[in-house]
Amino acid sequence: MEKIISIKNLNYTYPEAKTPAINDLSLDIYKNEWLSIVGKNGSGKSTLTKLIDGLIEASSGTIAVDGQEINEDNIWDARKKIGIIFQNPDHQFVGATVEDDVAFGLENQGMPREQMIIAVDHALELVKMSEFKKRDPQSLSGGQKQRVAIAGVLATRPQIIIMDESTSMLDPDGRKTVLNLVEQLREQQDLTIISITHDIEETELSQRIVVLNDGQIVKDGKPEEIYDLGPELTNYGLEEPFSSKLMSTLRESVKLPEGYLSGRELKEQLWKLHSNM
Amino acid sequence: MEITFEHVTHSYNADGPTASLGLDDVSLTIKDGLFTAIVGQTGSGKSTLVRHINALLKPTSGIVKIGSRVIDSETSNKNLKSLRKQVGMVFQFPESQLFEETVEKDIMFGPINFGATEDQAKESAQKMIQMVGLDESYLSKSPFDLSGGQMRRVAIAGVLASDPETIILDEPTAGLDPVGRQEIMDMFKGLQKNGKTIVLITHNMDDVANYADDVAVIHSGKLIANGLPKDIFNNNDLLKNDLLTLPKSAEFAKKLSQKGFSFSKLPITIDELGTEIKQQLNGD
Repeated sequence: MEKIISIKNLNYTYPEAKTPAINDLSLDIYKNEWLSIVGKNGSGKSTLTKLIDGLIEASSGTIAVDGQEINEDNIWDARKKIGIIFQNPDHQFVGATVEDDVAFGLENQGMPREQMIIAVDHALELVKMSEFKKRDPQSLSGGQKQRVAIAGVLATRPQIIIMDESTSMLDPDGRKTVLNLVEQLREQQDLTIISITHDIEETELSQRIVVLNDGQIVKDGKPEEIYDLGPELTNYGLEEPFSSKLMSTLRESVKLPEGYLSGRELKEQLWKLHSNM
Repeated sequence: MEITFEHVTHSYNADGPTASLGLDDVSLTIKDGLFTAIVGQTGSGKSTLVRHINALLKPTSGIVKIGSRVIDSETSNKNLKSLRKQVGMVFQFPESQLFEETVEKDIMFGPINFGATEDQAKESAQKMIQMVGLDESYLSKSPFDLSGGQMRRVAIAGVLASDPETIILDEPTAGLDPVGRQEIMDMFKGLQKNGKTIVLITHNMDDVANYADDVAVIHSGKLIANGLPKDIFNNNDLLKNDLLTLPKSAEFAKKLSQKGFSFSKLPITIDELGTEIKQQLNGD
C-alpha cells in the first residue's frame, strides 16, 4: 500500500504547557484508507490534525504528505492536498449563497470563472445538493450545511479529507447521510479520509482505528480489534460498543463465544440459542 | 416548581410576511422535581418551547405558568430577574459565553448579578467547581486556557452557582467525549435527586431512556406525545411515521423479535434488555 502521510517521532508542546500534547508519535496513513483517530477530550486528536495541516509547527519530528516532507517553503502545496471539515458548520460559511460558498476555495486558488462554475456544479452534484445552490447556507439543516462544506472541500480536489468531529452536532439522520456520503466519495474519488471523533459508532465505516491517549498512540487496529477491547475503551474516554455491553450483562447465564461480536453477529448467536431451546 | 403551558402558540415575525409558527397550541405540564426530556427533529420547536420557561420568549397566545408566575403576550420585560434566578438555562455550546479573566470570576458573575455578596459568590464558585468535577486549582485559571470539555463544565458551574430551582439543558453534552458525557448526565440526575426540576433537550434517545422520568415529543411546533419513556418508545404511531428514533436497546429488541424472541413491550435500557433475553432463553 502507498503511504499518503508519514509521521515520524512527532512532538508538540503548547506554549506554557507542562506536558506535551503530542509525544513522540509515529504513524503511517495509506492512500484511499478511512482512518479514524479516536480518544478523549484533550488526548491530542485536534493537535495532531493542526500539525498535519501545518497550522502549528512541530517541536520536533517530521510529517511527509504525498512523499514530501513539509516545511515552511512547501506548506502551501501540502495544504492544497488536504481539505478539512470542521465541527460546527455555522463557523465555516462565508458566501451568501450555497454556490458562492463552494466557490470560495477556488477563488482563493485563482481559478478562471468558467472553470469554477463547472467545478462548483460538479461538487454540489457529488454531495447531492445541486437543487440548493441558490439558497442562503444559513437556511439549511445541519446535515445539509455539512454536505455543502464537504462540496467546498471537494471542489478544491484534495487527496485527503480530514473530518474534525464533523458530525458531532448533527441529528442521527444528518449524521448517517454525511457518513455514507463520505464513504461513497472515498471509493469514487480515490480519497483518503481521516476522521477525528470520540463517537465509537462513527468509526464503523472506517478500515482502521488509532486510539490516542496523552498524545501517544495506544492502540492501532481494525475496528473489530478495537471494539474487542470492550470495557477497556472507557479508559480512553470512549464508550464501549452496545453489543459488547449487552454481552457483559448476558455472560453470567447465557453461553456466548469469547471476544467481540458485532450487533448483527450477537443477534444471530441469540437466535441460534433460542432455536436450540 | 411546576411549569404549565396552556394553549401556547408562538409565532415568529407575527406581523410580517414571513410569519412562521414556532409553537402551535401546546399544552403541557412539566412536573415539579422530575427529569423531563424534550425530543424532536432539528427545527421542530424544542428550543422555542424551553425559551418560554424563563420568558426569553413570550407566547403569542396562551399562557405559561411557572410556579405562581404567569407569562403571557402582555408580560413586561421588567421584573423578570427573579424568574431568571429560579430558572437556569444551559444553552448549546455554553462555553461560547465565557468571558471573564478567571474561572472564579466567571462562575461568580451569575450570583452577583442576582444580588449575592462577593463572599457568598466566592463560596458558591468553590462549591460548584467541585460539583462539575474540577478541583479548586481551576478557579484561578483563565477559562480560555481550558480544554473544550473543561470549559463546558465551567459554563455549567456558572449556571448552577445561582442555585436555580429549575435547570433547562439544551443539548448540554454535544461534543463531549462519552465518559465526560456520562459524568455530566449523572451530575444532572444527582441534582434532580436533590430536589431540582430538570428539563433536557436531546437527540440522544439512550439518555432519555436512562435518565428521564417523563418525555415530550415535539413535531412541527406541536406536542404530539407526552408520557413515560417506556410508553413513548412503544408508541407505534410515532415509530411508524419516523417521528422518533429508538434507544439502542429497543432497536436491538425489535430486531431480535423478527425470529423467536417476543417482547410485550420493547425494553429501553441495557439492563431491561439483558433481563428479558435471559428470561426468554433460560426461562428464569
